Amino acid sequence: SLRYMLGRGVKRKLSDYDESMAAGLPGPFDSSPALPYPQQRQLVLNMCLRKLQSCCLKVEPSLHRSVLLSNTLRQIQGEMLNEDCNTSPLAVQSDRNAYSVDTSPYIGGNPPATPAHIPDLPPLPLYSQAEEANLMTMPSDNGMSSTVSSHVRVSGFMKDMSPPPAFPSWAENEELDFFSSSSSSSEDEGNDHPAGSRSLDSLFGSFEIPNSTSYLTDLAFDDIFEDIDTSMYDSSDFTSVLSFTAPRSSVSPSEDSLKPFSTCSSLSTNGIQICVTDLNDLDHIMEILVES
Amino acid sequence: MAGGGGNDVQWCFSQVKGAIDDDVAEADIISTVEFNHSGELLATGDKGGRVVIFQQEPENKSQPQCRGEYNVYSTFQSHEPEFDYLKSLEIEEKINKIRWLPQKNAAQFLLSTNDKTIKLWKISERDKRPEGYNLKEEDGRYRDPTTVTTLRVPVFRPMDLMVEASPRRVFANAHTYHINSISVNSDYETYLSADDLRVNLWHLEITDRSFNIVDIKPANMEELTEVITAAEFHPNQCNTFVYSSSKGTIRLCDMRASALCDKHSKLFEEPEDPSNRSFFSEIISSISDVKFSHNGRYMMTRDYLSVKIWDLNMESRPVETYQVHEYLRSKLCSLYENDCIFDKFECCWNGNDSVVMTGSYNNFFRMFDRGQKKDVTLEASRESSKPRAVLKPRKVCGGGKRKKDEISVDSLDFNKKILHTAWHPQENIIAVATTNNLYIFQDKLN
Repeated sequence: SLRYMLGRGVKRKLSDYDESMAAGLPGPFDSSPALPYPQQRQLVLNMCLRKLQSCCLKVEPSLHRSVLLSNTLRQIQGEMLNEDCNTSPLAVQSDRNAYSVDTSPYIGGNPPATPAHIPDLPPLPLYSQAEEANLMTMPSDNGMSSTVSSHVRVSGFMKDMSPPPAFPSWAENEELDFFSSSSSSSEDEGNDHPAGSRSLDSLFGSFEIPNSTSYLTDLAFDDIFEDIDTSMYDSSDFTSVLSFTAPRSSVSPSEDSLKPFSTCSSLSTNGIQICVTDLNDLDHIMEILVES
Repeated sequence: MAGGGGNDVQWCFSQVKGAIDDDVAEADIISTVEFNHSGELLATGDKGGRVVIFQQEPENKSQPQCRGEYNVYSTFQSHEPEFDYLKSLEIEEKINKIRWLPQKNAAQFLLSTNDKTIKLWKISERDKRPEGYNLKEEDGRYRDPTTVTTLRVPVFRPMDLMVEASPRRVFANAHTYHINSISVNSDYETYLSADDLRVNLWHLEITDRSFNIVDIKPANMEELTEVITAAEFHPNQCNTFVYSSSKGTIRLCDMRASALCDKHSKLFEEPEDPSNRSFFSEIISSISDVKFSHNGRYMMTRDYLSVKIWDLNMESRPVETYQVHEYLRSKLCSLYENDCIFDKFECCWNGNDSVVMTGSYNNFFRMFDRGQKKDVTLEASRESSKPRAVLKPRKVCGGGKRKKDEISVDSLDFNKKILHTAWHPQENIIAVATTNNLYIFQDKLN
């Protein structure tokens, strides 16, 4: 079994978690305390991102956990940002043992000297059911876009050093096209936040019924009913969502836009399996039924 | 470890409930444990939404050295899994908390809650049934009225004891977020329920409305950095309650001050120790449980590594701090990786507030004697499960040379965690829940 070893870029398999829980704590971090501070921080950042992205549950993810994770992420990002701005004061620090009050919160850490390695962000993960729900009820909602933008934001945050965002920029633009001020936070009517800062919405937004007021005023009457379907699990939801997104984007939807949908739609939604590949058949059947 | 008096208490195994096999069914995972006000009843809730109530047998006069055993009294399905159609998400049936109401008549009442809905259950006994109906046969079939020639008065005859549980109230649709606490007020008319961002006040008789008394939801959810983790009413002052947060603070509120208690009366917070700062400082400062002492003068909080006792008159720092498993401090990254750092341990007081108890990993649990300044680590395991066997204190070796009988940190089993414990309100009887077993220990009576 492969273990996550810093510097080797090999990720721990999910099954290893169970082993490590039963057998103790073989964590690389804890067993090699001599790891330089930037690598320690990088390790924690990677884990943070991984945990935030892996909320693929049929139940609502815990808000408590999401808040703690995002606070940790913010703290690390803030620190890295400060380092970008103030490389000189930190490089001057030579005291290897001392706890540094100002910017290095970790005891015994070496002062960061080199730019941090930015991990390749993983491909868009399987959706949480919450985001699927947002997609179904409000096709233009930030379900996918905000996760996208959260990646964009994080990678953009470290934009000087990062590889280009994993997703086409049309995804971000698309979000702006759909809705100007609506968001998943229902009281948030006046705030036009930039498309990039939606990362938390995807975590916290599942708890809120999206405020449909601004959504309604933005769209034409017909558009409103184009997507809202009376049957929650009608497969036509997916077709309508897919067809809805397709014409709007300035670039014809590449595989990238459809891939996440096929990934998430192949998840068993409480026993209901909907396969994108079956949709064409289903369409055909529906046509026959309706006409008969 | 004295429950009263200066002698060391020795804890003995009494009973264990639950399946023996190691393959744990998810639904059997115990999620809450609570004694009632007399200690005669012990309720457990599990992940499958069931409540099991144990009743203590009356003391056997011929064996005064043995306290009565706890046997199953009632089992019922409290909550069912639900589906939120608006969000396409399941609502877990797991019982998060059970709280008993004080007994007012022959029946017992308890509140049980899952993530979204609180229910009031009535548990009543039936040991008599009417016999001798005029229009019905004994098996229930109706008699032909023309065959009735005489009348008689039905009489009650004894029957085998039957314990019935019936839901009397359902308090629903008041929580957008996951309910983490319920607490019955000392007025015995109202109770509070708390979720991640709000605290609601209910009247036990009224199910169609509740008052929101705390709301920490920011206008912009992007700005959310803190959630409510636990809440409890003061045991004597019906206007006072506390709620704890994920940032390690506790707020005491007075409901007389205003309708919405967003402004606290007191804020309890200990300044962070800068030498212990790490990436995980905030996560481990998150308070997982808060409990008032029985006398109402103190409250206890549990965070990931410690238990703190606060004097309600001093907000600046706790009066006592007990390290539960300090040897885990150097392992925080691994615990973060395997998610154990998010485990929510509960804590409890003994009847006279002299000893506090909380759980740990490897099926260990810890007791701290406040008066004698002593602590002990005990283990709930099948190996030490012989009747009346005295529990041997355990010791974890943090690093360095491991002594005989010590366990090293790296061989602790983090799958075996004791999150829920309860202490009998008067006696030295404790209930300790491992993943799917309930252990009952009592002090050795000579």
